Amino acid sequence: MKLYKKEGNIVQILSFPNETVEKGDYLLIEDGDIGKGLIVQVIDVQFANIPGILEELLRSLPDGGELIQGEDFDPLEIAPHITYIQDARLLRCKIRATMNNESLSPNSSWLPSRSQSSIKKLPIPTLLKMAKTTGKLPIVLGGTKDSMLLTIDASSVDGRLNIVTGKKETGKSHLSKLLMLNLIRYGAIVVVFDLNGEYTSLGMTSDGKRNAYHNKIHVLAPSQNFKVLLKQLHLHVLLSILIHALHLPGTSAREFRTIWRTLKQKDNLTLHELGEAIRNSRCNHHVRDALFSRYYALLNSRFFTDNVAEAMLLKESLLKAKNQGGAIIINLRNTSSIDRQIVVEYVLGKLVELLTSWKLKAVFLFAEEAHLYLRETYWDDIVTRMRHLGIFTTFITNQPNTIRENIYRQADNIFLFNFTNERDLEAVSRAARVDAETVKSIATDLPPRHCLVLGKVVKDFPMVVKVKALDIKTMGETRLFFKDMN
Amino acid sequence: MLIKQLAITTTPKYSFPQPTIDTSLPQRFIELSIHSLKHAQNQPFQLNQQFFQQNSSEEIQTTRTTLQPIPLKPRLKETMVAAVDTSSIKIGETTKGMVIAVRGATIWKHKRHYRYMRFGPFIFHVTEENKKQVYNALQRTYLNSPHEHNHNGSPSLLQMPTRIASLLERWQQTMLSKTVNNGLILFDGSLTSGINDTPTQRIKEILDNARKKQNVVLAFSKMTTLRFNGYLITDIPVKHKPPYLFKITGLKPKPPIILLGDVYVAKLTKGNYAFRLDIDKQVLTEQKIEALEKLLGNDLFSQSYPETLRLAHILCTFTANEVIAMQHFITRKYNLKIINRPDMHKLLFGPFGKGETCS
Repeated sequence: MKLYKKEGNIVQILSFPNETVEKGDYLLIEDGDIGKGLIVQVIDVQFANIPGILEELLRSLPDGGELIQGEDFDPLEIAPHITYIQDARLLRCKIRATMNNESLSPNSSWLPSRSQSSIKKLPIPTLLKMAKTTGKLPIVLGGTKDSMLLTIDASSVDGRLNIVTGKKETGKSHLSKLLMLNLIRYGAIVVVFDLNGEYTSLGMTSDGKRNAYHNKIHVLAPSQNFKVLLKQLHLHVLLSILIHALHLPGTSAREFRTIWRTLKQKDNLTLHELGEAIRNSRCNHHVRDALFSRYYALLNSRFFTDNVAEAMLLKESLLKAKNQGGAIIINLRNTSSIDRQIVVEYVLGKLVELLTSWKLKAVFLFAEEAHLYLRETYWDDIVTRMRHLGIFTTFITNQPNTIRENIYRQADNIFLFNFTNERDLEAVSRAARVDAETVKSIATDLPPRHCLVLGKVVKDFPMVVKVKALDIKTMGETRLFFKDMN
Repeated sequence: MLIKQLAITTTPKYSFPQPTIDTSLPQRFIELSIHSLKHAQNQPFQLNQQFFQQNSSEEIQTTRTTLQPIPLKPRLKETMVAAVDTSSIKIGETTKGMVIAVRGATIWKHKRHYRYMRFGPFIFHVTEENKKQVYNALQRTYLNSPHEHNHNGSPSLLQMPTRIASLLERWQQTMLSKTVNNGLILFDGSLTSGINDTPTQRIKEILDNARKKQNVVLAFSKMTTLRFNGYLITDIPVKHKPPYLFKITGLKPKPPIILLGDVYVAKLTKGNYAFRLDIDKQVLTEQKIEALEKLLGNDLFSQSYPETLRLAHILCTFTANEVIAMQHFITRKYNLKIINRPDMHKLLFGPFGKGETCS
C-alpha cells in the first residue's frame, strides 16, 4: 500500500490486489523517521484511476459485445502485471487518530511521508487495546471481519444515551437483548418497553429450557399480571396520565385534583369511588363529561384495579432487581395505543419517583419504537432531566427519523445496522459522534446481523461487528401465511 | 482453415504455433529480450511514455491518375479475412540506452467471429553498444541466413523500436501468407519495398507465398504523402457513390524504392474517408477487384476501414495501463531503479515549456 493523497481528514491510499482491505478496516500509516503513526479507517474502496483503463476494457469487447477470442503469446508474462495494475484500488480513508509512543490522540494536524511511510492493517484487538475500550465489565458484542472479538465495557453504556437503529430484520432487537443480558449479568436494573413481545422469553433457551437469567426476567403484561391500585398512585402520576395520555384540559384537571384529594382524605381511593365522586361533583357539566370520558378510559384499560390481590407492585419488582440485577419487561404487545401511553406514563412516573428518593441508583431503559408511546415532552426529559436522575435510555427503532434531532445530537453510542435509504442515513448522520461520510459509506453495505458501532463504547473508533448469537428463545417473529406450506 | 493450421500445444510457459510455422524469430525475440534486460539490471531508469510513430519517407513522384472510379459490389461468398499489425513503444530510459517494448497482433475473421493471436510484449534494453548485435541477430534469424546482413548498417537508437517492430510484422505477414488459403490478407501500410525495414526480397516472398495459397494481399495506408495536382490522392474529389476505387498510375519511385503493388484510392463507405490501397501487382485486375468485393462482403467497415485491420491495430497498441505494467515488471524483475530526470523544457521555460514529447 502507498500513501497517495490527503484532503482534509480524508487520506487516499493506493492498494494492490494482493492486499485484502475492506471497508471498515483500520490501517496504520507509520512514519518511522518521526516516530508517529496515523490511524485511518477505510470508508470506501474504489478502483484506482489507471490511465488507459478505458481503452483496455473497450478493446476486449469489440465483437458485438462478446469477448473476442484469442491467444496471447506472452513470453515475459506481462499479463499478470497488467491485471495487477488494472485491479489496483484506491482506499478512501478517514483519519481517526495519531499514534505516538503507543498512546492515541485525536490530532491529525501532521502529515506522514508519502515516500517513506509504511502502511499496514491494524488489527482491531490492537486498536481496542490502545484505545483502552475494555475494562472490568467486558461485554463481547461479536466478531470483527478478521474473526477477532469486539469487546466493549459495560461502564461505557452507563449514564449514556444509546440508539440502536437499522432496517427491519437486521438484528437490532438481538443486539439490544445482548446488551440487556450483559447489563443484568453485572447487576444492573433494566426496564424494557417491549412493543412486540420480543423480550418476553429472555429467560428461556432456544429449546425452551430455563436459562441463567430466568429468575431475573420479570415480564409484566398490562391488564393481565400488571395492574395497579389507585392507592398506589401519586396524584402527579395520574395527572400526567390524564393530561398527557388522555389529553385532559387544564380546568378539568384542576377539578380532578380536588376530587382526588377529597377521596384521599377519606382514604377512599378506589375506581368505584372515583366514578361516584365524578358523578356527584358539582362542577360544570362539560368538565364532568370530560372527567367521565377519561375515567372510563382508565377503567377500560383494565390497568387499574380495586382488587388488592390483583394488583402488582412495580416498586417491589424493581427493588428485587436492584439486589441481583434483573429486567422488567413491560409487554405492550396486546395493548392499545392509548393504554400503552397510560402504562408508559405510569412506569416512567414510578421510576422517577424511586430514583428521586434514591430507592434506586439507576435504571437502564430500553425503548422500542418509542415514538409510538412516548409523549413529545418526554424526549427532552429523557436526555436531560431523567438522565441526571439515573434513567439511561437505549432507543431501538427502524425508523430513525422518528427520533428527534436533539436526541441524535446527544447520543453517546450508536449501534447502526444496515440502511439502504439515504434519508434514513441522513437522519442518523445528525448524531454528533458520527461523520456522515462514514455512516453513508459503511452502513449501506452492512450484511444482516452486522452492526457499525459508533461512539464512546468504541472510543470513537467506528467498528463493524457481527453480533454474536444468543441462546435464547426467539419471540416476535413475523406471522406468515405461507409458513406451513413451505 | 487458419485455426486448424495454427494448432497450439501449450507448454507450461509458452505456447507457440506449430508445426508449419517457423518459430525461430519469436524464440530469438525472447532470448534477446531477456538477455538485453539482464544487462540493464540495477541501472537507474527514467520513465518515459513517448510513443513512436512510424513515418514512411517514401519518395515517389505521381504523374497520372485515371480518375475513373471502379464501382464495387460486395460479394458475400465466405472468405477468410486476416490482418496483421505491430506496435512499439519506448517505456523508459536507462543511463546507457532505452527500454522498449514491441507487440504484434494477427486477427482473422472466420464464420462471423474474430479471433486473434498476439505476440509479445517483447521488452528490449537497447543501447548504443548492443543495438547492432540485437538488430542483426533478429534480422539474421528472420532472414534465416547467417550471412545475409543489413547493407545499410544497424538503425539509430531512436529507430530501433520501429525497426524491431517491422521485423516482427514481416514475420507475422510471412506466417499468414503461408497458412491462410483462399483468403484476404490485410497489411497496415503500403507494398513499397526497398526502404530499410522493407527488404524487397522479403516482401516479394511474402506476396509469392500468398499467391501460391490463392490469397490476395491488400495493404491499407492510414496516411499517404502521394499527391496529384497538389492534392493528396485520398483528397481527390470524385463524383461517385461509394464503394469504389480508382487507380493511381504513373508512379515513379526513386531507386532503390520499388512498388510491389498497384496503388489505388479506395473509398468503401459513405463519408469523407478514403485510403491508399496497395494490391499485389502480380494479381490480375479482375482478381484485385474481386478481392476487394469479397472484403466488402465479409468484413465490417467503419469509416472506409476494415474492422479486421482496425482490431489488429487496437490489439497490438499499448495502453498507458500496459506501459505502467511493463515498467512495474522491469523494475521488479530486473531491479531497475526509477529516476526522475528533469524535463529540460520545463526547467528552462517554466510554464512555456510543454515537455519534450511535444517539442
